[in-house]
Amino acid sequence: MGSSGQGQSNFDLSFKILLIGDSGVGKSSLLVSFISNAVDDLAPTIGVDFKIKLFTVGGKKLKLTIWDTAGQERFRTLTSSYYRGAQGIVLVYDVTRRDTFTNLSDVWAKEVELYSTNQDCIKMLVGNKVDRESERVVSREEGISLAKEFGCLYLECSARTRENVERCFEELALKIMEVPSLLEEGSTVGKRNILKQKQEQHTPPAGSCCS
Amino acid sequence: MWRDPGAPVDSYYEVRPECTDVPKTKFRIKAGKTLSARKWQAAFSPEGHLDIGKTLGRIQRGGIHPSIRGEVWEFLLGCYDPKSTFNERDEIRQQRRVQYAVLKDECRLMFPLIGSGKFITAPVITEDGEPIYDPLVLQEANVSSAEGIDAFNGSEMAKEPNTHCTMSKKEIQWKLTLHQIGLDVVRTDRTLMFYEKQENLSKLWDILSVYAWFDKDVGYCQGMSDLCSPMIMLLEDEADAFWCFQRLMRRLRGNFRCTERSVGVETQLSNLASITQVINPKLHQHLETLGGGDYLFAFRMLMVLFRREFSFGDSLYLWEMMWALEYDPELFIMYEDPELASEKSDRSKGKVKSTRQCGKYERENMKSGGKSAEAPLPISVFLVASVLKDKSTKLLTEARGLDDVVKILNDITGDLDAKKACTGAMKLHKKYLKKAKNA
Repeated sequence: MGSSGQGQSNFDLSFKILLIGDSGVGKSSLLVSFISNAVDDLAPTIGVDFKIKLFTVGGKKLKLTIWDTAGQERFRTLTSSYYRGAQGIVLVYDVTRRDTFTNLSDVWAKEVELYSTNQDCIKMLVGNKVDRESERVVSREEGISLAKEFGCLYLECSARTRENVERCFEELALKIMEVPSLLEEGSTVGKRNILKQKQEQHTPPAGSCCS
Repeated sequence: MWRDPGAPVDSYYEVRPECTDVPKTKFRIKAGKTLSARKWQAAFSPEGHLDIGKTLGRIQRGGIHPSIRGEVWEFLLGCYDPKSTFNERDEIRQQRRVQYAVLKDECRLMFPLIGSGKFITAPVITEDGEPIYDPLVLQEANVSSAEGIDAFNGSEMAKEPNTHCTMSKKEIQWKLTLHQIGLDVVRTDRTLMFYEKQENLSKLWDILSVYAWFDKDVGYCQGMSDLCSPMIMLLEDEADAFWCFQRLMRRLRGNFRCTERSVGVETQLSNLASITQVINPKLHQHLETLGGGDYLFAFRMLMVLFRREFSFGDSLYLWEMMWALEYDPELFIMYEDPELASEKSDRSKGKVKSTRQCGKYERENMKSGGKSAEAPLPISVFLVASVLKDKSTKLLTEARGLDDVVKILNDITGDLDAKKACTGAMKLHKKYLKKAKNA
């Protein structure tokens, strides 16, 4: 397992992003919409999945490794290990379902607090499904004020129409690049963040509790 | 040599015309290889005793003709004893249908939308048992008429606001899962024409909801809708589909059982780790270095038995091959009457179980001594191991991070061959047993 950078020189920085939020809010759709335009009805995510996107922001070629997680509560023990080493966390809710919004403070913000090891990690609140304006129950103002409370970025978007989808990841990436510690993490591509992070983690949970 | 290209099966599981990027099914119905309706019927005696051994070989090689899939699956999964008669089975079927109706009634009393043809996707209750009147729920409950909302309001919790105090923990727990089931139902196999029909969606919701009540330890866990969906398509009667699903869950429920700290499938993942360690130590070492020693990247394959890696038609083919290979004629008794089954196996310790009625994989397990202390590993674990083996060169040379591992394994989607994967799994199993014996 050499750290020969072969095939890795086609980007300048590499960041790890995590998508979290209630089941059915459109985390996978948001991701697929960002990667490949078309969004069909996607099947529920089982456990954790991820996709890679190469794109250019602020004159830098970026590689985003975006991890997509299952929303059901009982998968949380599993997804918690994926918070480590993430430079960006996107908290997604559905503007047509209030419970997914209230759970951001009741559940998801707490999860981030608990599992994210990165003090400087950038968080972003995303209200999805704005194409269904007539069914909206969470207003933009409410979203903005919660984002303020959490001290994080905010956007409303639609995975279906792709409105604001690219902008969401762009803004997140730009913000990450403004933070020196995160920028440095992203530059050490030769060593691979995920590898580093996973090795550090090797002693505690995940699998250590064999029944 | 001329080869029969076989008939495609996609017409049996029609995909919506607008879904163009759905992987095509590779499985073909081949004359003389696939278990046909004629061959299947010929395996029964006039009273109905089934010589299942005759059919297993075919299923292991050529799969089952879609027209008889449902009834064959019922045997493969242990719903019925092949040694029973037509009449005995009819009787069991009737009993089970009644039993299902009772279960469903119980559920309907707690939540009137069960069996109404409607379902919900928003929560109806808080963790403390307080009802939630989400506008979305009322709207969903009220789709057709005032009767819908009456039905909803007719529920115990709405009629008397105080009754929720006495609502049992179990009932609250169950109600908490109902919207999750709904959220998944509307996203399960939606590329298929079959689920364009509202009644099929609500059937899936009903069965999963009743199951969550029936098996409270497991309840509902994401992934189960993937496993249940084919049952509804193959077995017309809802109760029959339920019991067939329930039998499948007998095999898999361990994977879905969760504690505060772990998901059940982790046990299988650690089995996978030990297998890979024995068979392919280099690969295991490499995965460990990359931080993948927990094998979590194989989570989905085991949870939904490769449904996401194969087309719909091919996953059914894969499943029936697996079950035929694993087939144990005592499955039925083991499920119906575990005590009797263990008694029987004690008595027949010296005697050999009629191996001709067993699947090939089961026979290998029996040959290797089948230490009764630990249950044999399911073939699915070896299937994953064989997929890893196929990709091991790529994994060893190209994967430099856990993300590469996941990517390489994700890329197999649509490329896998169900038959080859099974053959590979069988080979690895043999090798593993041999190595384990010598160790």
